[in-house]
Amino acid sequence: MIDRQDVIRMARLARLELSEAEIDQYQQDLAGFVSSGRKLQQVDVSAVEGTSHAVVVTHELRKDEVAESLPQDLVLSTGPDVSDGFFRVPRIVEEQE
Amino acid sequence: MRQLAHMLDTRQATSREIVTRYLEQIAQQEPQLNAFITVDEEGALLQAEEADRRRAEGRALSPWDGIPIAVKDNISTAGLKTTCASRFLENYRPLFDATVVDNLRQAGLPIIGKTNLDEFAMGSSTEYSAYGVTRNPHDLSRVSGGSSGGSAAAVAAGEAPWALGTDTGGSIRQPASFCGVVGLKPTYGAVSRYGVVALAPSLDQVGPVATTVEDTAILFSLIAGPDRRDASSSEARPFQVPRWDEQFVTGLKIGVPEEFFGEGLDQEVEQAVRKCLAELESRGAVLVPISLATNEYAIDTYLTLVTAEASSCLARYDGVRYGTRVAAADSNTMFSKSRAAGFGSEVKRRIMLGTYVLSASHYEAYYEQAQKVRTLIKRDVLASFEEVDVVITPTTPTPAFRIGAKRNPLEMYLSDLFTAMANLSGIPAISVPCGKDSKGLPLGIQIMASHFQEELLFKVAYMVERGCL
Repeated sequence: MIDRQDVIRMARLARLELSEAEIDQYQQDLAGFVSSGRKLQQVDVSAVEGTSHAVVVTHELRKDEVAESLPQDLVLSTGPDVSDGFFRVPRIVEEQE
Repeated sequence: MRQLAHMLDTRQATSREIVTRYLEQIAQQEPQLNAFITVDEEGALLQAEEADRRRAEGRALSPWDGIPIAVKDNISTAGLKTTCASRFLENYRPLFDATVVDNLRQAGLPIIGKTNLDEFAMGSSTEYSAYGVTRNPHDLSRVSGGSSGGSAAAVAAGEAPWALGTDTGGSIRQPASFCGVVGLKPTYGAVSRYGVVALAPSLDQVGPVATTVEDTAILFSLIAGPDRRDASSSEARPFQVPRWDEQFVTGLKIGVPEEFFGEGLDQEVEQAVRKCLAELESRGAVLVPISLATNEYAIDTYLTLVTAEASSCLARYDGVRYGTRVAAADSNTMFSKSRAAGFGSEVKRRIMLGTYVLSASHYEAYYEQAQKVRTLIKRDVLASFEEVDVVITPTTPTPAFRIGAKRNPLEMYLSDLFTAMANLSGIPAISVPCGKDSKGLPLGIQIMASHFQEELLFKVAYMVERGCL
């Protein structure tokens, strides 16, 4: 059972502002998804490890060498709000008294 | 492609002339099709002139130097808009090229434009694009498929000789099938994903779309290979564009999984695929009935994993470093409002589903369970290749459906019923045209092989191309 509070909680976790109509819609969609996925819950996987990558690759260590990177001004050029070499965002940490 | 290359080589045409011809075709077709989000006329002509200069000086970068290509708009092109069909990235110009784009430039291919897709590649029809649906060149009232619908339609309509797409659950093969062209989903790790905007990193692969099997193989040879910048890319395996070989089919063991020929399969699709299989048999192939019973779980497993990975990947769109920003007094509200304004409904839906399956109270029951079922699916698939050389199925249960026909998201997800298995198990799979139905809609046949067996896939695909059309 998916209730409205579940949807609101998920939206908060996902940092997604939803309208009332969207909350109703996604409540329905989540419920549909949960019931269609029930079949999956019944598969016996007791002796099975999960697969996170289909083709196993061994990560090889490479030399720790300095390589070229993008210049700071170029990286900042895509930002919606930049100043003094930084991306500017609203205040995150409250000022101390 | 060999013909275009020959024309360039013998000075019967210049790259500028060829690119101009495709640009004219684009200008003529786009008002009906909408296969492109961005057409880079100026850039493509500049690149063409450089190619002509190189050829005149005898220093062509490859036999294909000067032959243009279209690139799906979720693959980064430095300085050229890469929107992922999302409002969020409406004005985003990447600062770097994806490795596959770098590969194209190394071979001298002018990039003619960026093709339409479902927003962030989430969909099977391009109906979820923020820039409008791409129509099917064979019937404008129908979808081109998705998510690489723009790439498939552009190639089918002669707007580009070939194109790159991406495939997470069928996003190259399904539109290729709907539009009557060839499309390959390579082995996971065969092609670099660096610079390709992630939907689900454990499933995503870049692959070629073209009108013939040989062109598809040529394009694959240009983009395949390891990349230091993508830790999931695999070591180089020698890949030669295979030659047509009449004898090859003799004794070839083709697995035919009964589960792919059951309820829900369009009759004309089934007839076309069966006819093609009979043709291959008459030329010496051995048809082996096999079972891929775990396909029953493929869509639910796929949906769980893809939404989980997507919700995590899309967390980066916060309106801080690029993309849409809606101003607010505090950062969390700014993130929530920016994301609400920038994302379309299907993207929001998948983020919500993904957040749900990854949330602490459901992680084990959904996400972990799906990863384990994925192991069973992979075992099932790999076991079949101990019995047979390739597996052949229809690419999709039906031909291209009408625009607006699938309103229910769960119904839309079922378009990937026959294709998701290859992504879940990491194997390569190709869709090749196998005729048309009575309405004139293209039909596709899917060939699957074991990991890194692309050469074998192409050899069988040649047979299908010559024998089954």
